[in-house]
Amino acid sequence: MEIELARHCLEFALRNGATAVRITLNKTVTDLVGILNGEVDKVSHSLDRSLQIALFVDGRYGAFSSNRLEKEELEEFVRKAIGTVRMLEEDKFRRLPEAGRKVKDAMTGMEPGLYDPASSEVDEAFRRDMALKLSLWKEKEALEKGFTILGEESEYSDTVSDMVVLDSEGLFARHSETSFEIVTEYTIAAPDGRLFSGYWWDASWRLADIDPESCARKALDRTVEQMNPLGVPGGKYNVVVDSECASRLLSPVLSALGGFAVQQKNSFLADKLGEKVFPENMTLVDLPREAGRMGARLFDSEGVATREMPVIDHGVVKTFFLNTYIAGKMGMEPTVEDSTRVRLMPVGECKNGDELMAAVGEGILITGFNGGNSNSATGDFSYGIEGFFFQGGRIVHPVRELLMTGNFVSLWNELSLVADDARPCMEKQIPSLAFGSVDISA
Amino acid sequence: MVKEKAYYLSVFGVDEALLAMLVREALSRGGNYGDLFFENTLYGNLVLRDGAVTTGGSHVDFGVGVRVLDGEKTGYAYSESTSRADMMACAKAASAIAGGMPMAVDSPTRAAFRGVPNPEADRYPVKEQWTSRSMDSFLPFLREVDAEIRSRDSRVEKLTAVLSFQETDVLMYNSLGELKWETRPMGNVNVSVVFRQGTRVENNSVSRSWRMGAEMLGPSLIADIASAAVRGLDARFQAGRPKGGRMSVVMGAGSSGILLHEAMGHAFEADFNRKGISIFADKMGQKICSEDITIVDDGTLVGNRGALNYDDEGVPGQRTVMVDRGVLSSYLHDRISAAHYGVAPTGNGRRESFRYAPIPRMRATYMESGKANPADLVAEVKHGIFVDEFANGQVKIGEGDFTFYVKAGYLIENGRLTMPIKDINIIGNGPVALRDIVAVGNDLALDPLTWTCGKEQSVPVSCGIPTVLVKSLTVGGE
Repeated sequence: MEIELARHCLEFALRNGATAVRITLNKTVTDLVGILNGEVDKVSHSLDRSLQIALFVDGRYGAFSSNRLEKEELEEFVRKAIGTVRMLEEDKFRRLPEAGRKVKDAMTGMEPGLYDPASSEVDEAFRRDMALKLSLWKEKEALEKGFTILGEESEYSDTVSDMVVLDSEGLFARHSETSFEIVTEYTIAAPDGRLFSGYWWDASWRLADIDPESCARKALDRTVEQMNPLGVPGGKYNVVVDSECASRLLSPVLSALGGFAVQQKNSFLADKLGEKVFPENMTLVDLPREAGRMGARLFDSEGVATREMPVIDHGVVKTFFLNTYIAGKMGMEPTVEDSTRVRLMPVGECKNGDELMAAVGEGILITGFNGGNSNSATGDFSYGIEGFFFQGGRIVHPVRELLMTGNFVSLWNELSLVADDARPCMEKQIPSLAFGSVDISA
Repeated sequence: MVKEKAYYLSVFGVDEALLAMLVREALSRGGNYGDLFFENTLYGNLVLRDGAVTTGGSHVDFGVGVRVLDGEKTGYAYSESTSRADMMACAKAASAIAGGMPMAVDSPTRAAFRGVPNPEADRYPVKEQWTSRSMDSFLPFLREVDAEIRSRDSRVEKLTAVLSFQETDVLMYNSLGELKWETRPMGNVNVSVVFRQGTRVENNSVSRSWRMGAEMLGPSLIADIASAAVRGLDARFQAGRPKGGRMSVVMGAGSSGILLHEAMGHAFEADFNRKGISIFADKMGQKICSEDITIVDDGTLVGNRGALNYDDEGVPGQRTVMVDRGVLSSYLHDRISAAHYGVAPTGNGRRESFRYAPIPRMRATYMESGKANPADLVAEVKHGIFVDEFANGQVKIGEGDFTFYVKAGYLIENGRLTMPIKDINIIGNGPVALRDIVAVGNDLALDPLTWTCGKEQSVPVSCGIPTVLVKSLTVGGE
């Protein structure tokens, strides 16, 4: 890491007119091997570095970045940047966070426990071996029972990333982590010529957690299961949403709690702080400091220390995500820039999606979303969905070309059960969910 | 925008002998084609929020990508430094894809595009370079956008306007000895407005984007953005959702081109077809829809967001007819897929930046005008919807299932537009929807929105379509 260079830029900016400065230095190295139909199809190596500099000049603010990290180039860049900031209008709410809010326990980058020393042992041959294990192409003929595999694509990648945040009031914060990711995708043809595609993926900061063989088999299983879809009539259904995709329904809620959306009134939760908007059984907490868990972070982009906090407590909105600037504009106490590693607490005794289906009886199991969006101001949404019709707690047949439409406040108030099967590879810990009375169009 | 060759060599600190040496190093372990893609991008942005331009910035992205093709296999590496040592290391990393002796360059489809860039044929001539203007000279534009929108509707509660621009110097060299260079401009204006009427809140967003210089900023653009920001606002506050299900859909001219992009365009990209996983993989030369339909992907529209003098493999930008009067006539090719099919590349090899290897991507995708009167298409529908504002779309390539999100439209009852509708998704199957286009209007319009396609990498695109009637699609509702 070019930490001394960052310190030099910080001092240079102060000497040339900045009243306060924050610098974020990033370095990421990624290697990837791609497999197409059982053979290595792609190898890539990348090294990314960038220096981001937030400049506070005469009551004005600007944000800049460059990946040209030569000292003379950066000095010229910073000099011009300060000139640019001076052209902007004053904004009295722009300032660095108060010292008491800044992180103090992120000095080495290793504190979150997300760095695997095994990453230094990984070489080109190992990557190829891992990637080839993501392929079942050699078993193609034996696997093709009632379908034909048209294509199989897999990727293995490993990444080492390092980030340092410094500011002109003494902040030093570092976050280091490794990441190992695998994915396999299949396209198959049914006897009638119809095509189906499916995938599976896994990721961890620890190499030993990654299991390529099971990834490929699960991807193929998920693809084959989609064959022979049947229609269902449109109407209101119970819905179970698989933990693989359940966070899709929570992300717009978290966005609506974001400071910029709230301050700009572009949020369906803009005036709901402290109100019971959601049902009694809905409790969401942010757990950013669980060491060794994917997504753990000790500080946000301003260097403010994260902390465990309730987001929604028994249906009551407990926090907005407010950085120093937005909090100042709104006349509120700042929190953190964004959610980090939220967890939706289980409701009921069901462990997973299968048990949810058994408890619910009949409805639609959603295993993936196909497009769609939502209105951030009203909370109205409409998504394409895919999955299965279930009855008597068991899957009956796949479904396809369905739409799920509603409003997030109404939807979450139909939350009946939450399982306990959030995927460890995901930052947002959202288990499989069960809702009642959801509008499905067919 | 095209400058002298010496400018680009100087920006990247290279000479032609070094370029040739790097490609030789890249092919030293084998492979039959290698290329270099140098990029120097300067981004600038200004944000008006709560009535003042209080945020701005600039960003530099600089580097070189080295690619080795060994048949259809790709080795790729990039460096953010163009020092000789860093680039040689990069070339060595890219060479890892190949494991044998270098092969002869044997494919005619890879050897057809010699010649230097021609400023006379430039598809994005710039009258006023973004980087020649002082940032403070852009502030009045944003303030006028803010004032003009507020003057047109008193219900404006919050408004954010963002001006962003970029100038990208590109230098490309390949193992055929071809050297290409150009500077690509792009200007974007994005406006987000929140309106309040009593206790109800609604939002709207407007964007405009062109490959142009700062001359695009002017009174006509301000008026256009303001008009679009408040268009249909009364209807938006009254809008509801239809009863969902299968129904006829009249897609208005312009931004309904998202139908082509998602439902058909991606399935025509030749990488999916080369791998046999596109639903159109075995349909070349076959009739796939009405002979009233001709679909084009075009990189030659001057100033268009999807325009290209050259694609990111140095192949000249061109106009590609994908569906010619109902017959599938061409896929969209990069050099790999063109070699696979034994045809010339179509100039669709594109990449987000030097960090990515190019793959087949759309440019400006549109349907040619038909003969129908647009008003007649609505009149034909007994029960359905009319839609002409969209947010985003998606497609599953294998199945051909696509969706797009409708921000605003109207219910059609007995041939007349009735209840305003908003915030619904539409889902269908590409080949089926293409066959179900039963009428094509005579009013082709290209959409000026900031469309960005996200297939593995983000690239700027645009789309367009005349008013069309699709016999049946599944519409979301309550």
